[in-house]
Amino acid sequence: MNPNPLMGFRTTRRDFLKASTWMVGGGGLSLQAALAHRASMGEAAVFAPRPSHHPARAQHLIIVFLTGGMSHVDTFDFKPALQARHGEPADAAGLRPDEARKQPLLGSPFEFRRHGQAGIWVSDLFPKLAGLADQLCIVRSLHTDIVEHFQATLAMHTGSSTVPMPSIGSWISHGLGTRNPNLPAYMVFAEHLPYAGAQVFDAQFLPAHHHGLRIIPGDDLIPNLKALPRKTSLADLEQEMLQQVNQDHAARRSHGADLRGQMSSLAVARGMMQTAPAAFDIRGESQATLDAYGVKPGDRRSFGWQCLGARRLVERGVRVVEIIDTGSGDNWDSHGDMAAHRPKAARVDQSLTSLLTDLRERGLLQDTLVAICTEFGRTPWTDGLNSKGRNHFAKAFTCLLAGAGIKPGSTYGETDELGSTIVKDPMHVHDYHATILHLMGLDHTRLTYRYGGRDFRLTDVHGNVAHGVIS
Amino acid sequence: MSVSAPSNTHTPGSPSGPRRSSIHIALVWLLLSIGWMSANEPTPPRDPASWWAYQELQRPYPPEVKDRRWPRTDLDRFILSKLEALQLKPSAQASKDELLRRLHFDLIGLPPSLNEQKAFRADRSSNAFSNVVERLLASPHYGERWGRHWMDVVRYADTAGDNADYPVPESFRYRDYIIDAFNQDLPYDQFIVEQLAGDILTQEAPTVRRAERIVATGFLALSRRYATGPFELMHLTLEDAIDTTGRTFLGMTFKCARCHDHKSDPVTARDYYGLYGIFASTRFPYAGSEEFQSKSLPRTGFVPLAPPAEAEAALAANRQRLQELRTELARLDASKTAAESNSPARTSLDTRIQQLRLELKRRERSGTHPDAPAAYAVSEGKGEDHPLQKSGDPGQPGDKVPRCFPAFFSKSTPPPVLPTGSSGRLELARWITHPRNPLTGRTMVNRIWQGHFGHALAATPSNLGLSSEPPSHPELIDWLASEFIRSGWSIKHMHRLILHSATWQQTSGFKAQHQGSIKDPSNRWLWRQNRQRADAEAIRDSMLLMGRQLDLRRPGAHPFPPIEEWRWTQHDPFKAVYESNHRSVYLMRQRIQRHPYLALFDAPDANVSTDMRPVSSLPTQALYLMNHPFVQEQARLFADTLLAQTHLTEKERLAQGIESAWARPAKPHELKTASVFLRMCQKQAGAEGLASDESLREAWISWCRVLITSNPFLYID
Repeated sequence: MNPNPLMGFRTTRRDFLKASTWMVGGGGLSLQAALAHRASMGEAAVFAPRPSHHPARAQHLIIVFLTGGMSHVDTFDFKPALQARHGEPADAAGLRPDEARKQPLLGSPFEFRRHGQAGIWVSDLFPKLAGLADQLCIVRSLHTDIVEHFQATLAMHTGSSTVPMPSIGSWISHGLGTRNPNLPAYMVFAEHLPYAGAQVFDAQFLPAHHHGLRIIPGDDLIPNLKALPRKTSLADLEQEMLQQVNQDHAARRSHGADLRGQMSSLAVARGMMQTAPAAFDIRGESQATLDAYGVKPGDRRSFGWQCLGARRLVERGVRVVEIIDTGSGDNWDSHGDMAAHRPKAARVDQSLTSLLTDLRERGLLQDTLVAICTEFGRTPWTDGLNSKGRNHFAKAFTCLLAGAGIKPGSTYGETDELGSTIVKDPMHVHDYHATILHLMGLDHTRLTYRYGGRDFRLTDVHGNVAHGVIS
Repeated sequence: MSVSAPSNTHTPGSPSGPRRSSIHIALVWLLLSIGWMSANEPTPPRDPASWWAYQELQRPYPPEVKDRRWPRTDLDRFILSKLEALQLKPSAQASKDELLRRLHFDLIGLPPSLNEQKAFRADRSSNAFSNVVERLLASPHYGERWGRHWMDVVRYADTAGDNADYPVPESFRYRDYIIDAFNQDLPYDQFIVEQLAGDILTQEAPTVRRAERIVATGFLALSRRYATGPFELMHLTLEDAIDTTGRTFLGMTFKCARCHDHKSDPVTARDYYGLYGIFASTRFPYAGSEEFQSKSLPRTGFVPLAPPAEAEAALAANRQRLQELRTELARLDASKTAAESNSPARTSLDTRIQQLRLELKRRERSGTHPDAPAAYAVSEGKGEDHPLQKSGDPGQPGDKVPRCFPAFFSKSTPPPVLPTGSSGRLELARWITHPRNPLTGRTMVNRIWQGHFGHALAATPSNLGLSSEPPSHPELIDWLASEFIRSGWSIKHMHRLILHSATWQQTSGFKAQHQGSIKDPSNRWLWRQNRQRADAEAIRDSMLLMGRQLDLRRPGAHPFPPIEEWRWTQHDPFKAVYESNHRSVYLMRQRIQRHPYLALFDAPDANVSTDMRPVSSLPTQALYLMNHPFVQEQARLFADTLLAQTHLTEKERLAQGIESAWARPAKPHELKTASVFLRMCQKQAGAEGLASDESLREAWISWCRVLITSNPFLYID
């Protein structure tokens, strides 16, 4: 903590000189208090809440993105017929037209059981999450357009498979702003980057403060957040001098919105340097909570720590928090053997369960929508003749919704007996986005941004709200 | 798609993939115009027959103005007449210091040195300003600045953009070509023809600018690649080629016409597929992608820079060497059994085999003669017409469309005659650069204006079509465009014209009571100059300059790993940041992973053509300025430079610091405040136990950090 007294925060050099005399004399508020006050006085206008289009069911969104393509038929979309017809050749579309051929059907190696009062089928990959079946809405009818990781991941985040467009978190930030002036509205835990890299949380043509801020679990959570190691603690003094210089500069220029913006971003950054570390400082959490999330002492990296961090950010008013569970390597992309799904599921099952439970117990779940999703499903047939794994599948996949506004203990949409075709209530990626925006109080047809002479939307010209998932 | 959600049924297929394909811009506009979608501002229907940008280019007469004293050039009369109509007064001329700093950032992206400042202040002659303009236009750094503007538009990148983002080590040649072209003031029409069809020019005149003209087609070669195989989703790569061509040279967006006739602009799907045939008849290079690794597919289509005979000899030598390598490796492999394992003979044999295998891999994979320079460039393919794709879906071919240029804009230009077997690119380029093409000159002068004022006269420089906002001064654009063509398409001529105008030389500040701040707060009518924040490149370069670290030489190729080591996939894509003290225009730019610093400070995404960078002030930028070691290092070096001037007093050193960083003399109160600041820092550092010389140095470092992270450093008046 810096012992220097306040050096005044009005604009003139006289103030600075006066303040510096004062400083030599000692006394006054701490500089930190002055800066915090300044941030709270609304200089941080870039990070401010904005009204929704209609009353919102959810104030916050937590996206858990399971990278690589979680199999629907091995997790939440039970297909006994697939077991029964295991090995039978089926017409299998390949990734590209020239790869279409006959492939044997593959029964799921996992055991399914009914759970909860709703009797929802869940495989033994998610034993803990299955216990919350009565809180979940299982959407079994998602579908996307391009069956490559990169394009499907981009689509799931931006609605576009090809040309980079703003991410859903950026759109929500644009629509609703944030409830904490010291933190961005959209923050993303990404130890490793997913397919399509940082494009998935990019604001693109939206104003840059809607960009998802990447948190890199580990020692250095947010780039440049830590003050540099210095021989002395001159940083605070220096910041105050910087403000003085900037104010002197602005005072001589009469149209200063840009200059004030730059100055306020310095103030917010100072606020972030103080607020963000506290958001991730879990020393105050009870042992029971830490155990529930599976967080060990000193852990700043595990999936459980990220889930706990997500809750703490939501508590602090961050609008959208995303957790990307693994990167573009070593993920749910189980081509060779579906058994490879087991460690991936084991890595997230307990923590996701604890996250939902914790949010509920703290009363946060009534304001928070949780979407657990992936980029596409996996084929009901094997990937290659001798494989025990499955290929990418765009025509049907499953995501889970829970929390604010969601019909608990329900399922939405159906696939045929093999899980290869949607037969009821299809939900295209655009519909999925429209539904999330709707729950956040945003009309996806009105959430537009004018760029290059046109109005753009997250849902392009598509999207229907799936009212069936809404309570 | 087996399932069609109700929401999709009213749309004729399209954007985000083979079925849905890219973005339905045109559809958005259709829905906007028929009221199915809400828009922020309803757009009245506009008539192509009377749209300003589509009219034949005339040279308007500069309007009469009441105030005869203010205009310095004819250009100023266009500005002043509108201001007078609005009863606005232009602002006074900026001070000499402001002008010099503005001019330096504007033309070369760097602040003036102490000597340059001194010389300009002392030069009272009438051509003092012109002399600086000429000095900067002749500087090699001019092309680095203005070439970078061009690179934004042509979505310059050092990687291909496929799912594994393969590097393109040859890409830098196109970068350097652009810089050279600006420095040489290559006539803009020639610049366009070389970028679209330089390879065809070399067939006509094999020895004239051969390498340059081949390299220039990097403009097309850099079209975005998709997915994992060679030329996968090629129709989207061609869409990028077509759309970027339209945006860059014509200020037109053609993309929408891929799926259906453009809903706002007079561009039909047939026009699109007329252009499609031209680019589909072009051979694109393949720089690698996941299947380079997984299926051992070599790079293809790179174009040797040497003349054909020489290149053929090199390639023949390469083929022969490949043959030798294979034979030799087979022989050595066979002899392995003879050599005793672990013997020195065996070890040296293994080493030899390893060496040869690497060489083989390098030669097989490079797709060109690895030792002879080649370019990421295009060449002629099979010249033929291609079918229209219904709803933009290559799986639904319609009738073949003869290769042609958008009909609406071809009324005043001669109809194309495509030589048999050729793609038609050269004819397309000649059509674009025809003096009667209404779009080409207007588009470029509007961009040049933007480079000098921060905002263009027509606000979206890559879209002058019916969906764009009408420009503030259409007559001025026309006058500039005629002047541009009359000058032989000289970009430097346009710079001189604009920089010498009273309009450009206005101060960016104003008195609060100026009626402009009420009547025109956004300064659309240019009653003052715009204050601009230095862009990402200028900020970094200036910081390096303050730390005396800026390496002004041209660095050449990037230090990519050798091709025999490439094994990137979408699961483990290419990702690198190469540290360098060269100017930022030379930093390696990827498509899928963005450069962390450049992305933070609003440099464009290299996947798409960018006509205007946003300017953001973000806390994450502030964090960089406060806490990144780069900034700290430049501040330290800057401080050491000032401290080393032992013949100067402290006050003189402070003054020099301000003058170096902010390019103007220090004001007395600034020196006084700075001196108090130094004392306070020293006192605190001393209290924390630092020796007095060390605490002095720390204080100076802090002062220099303030200098190079403050608004006087970051903003240009």
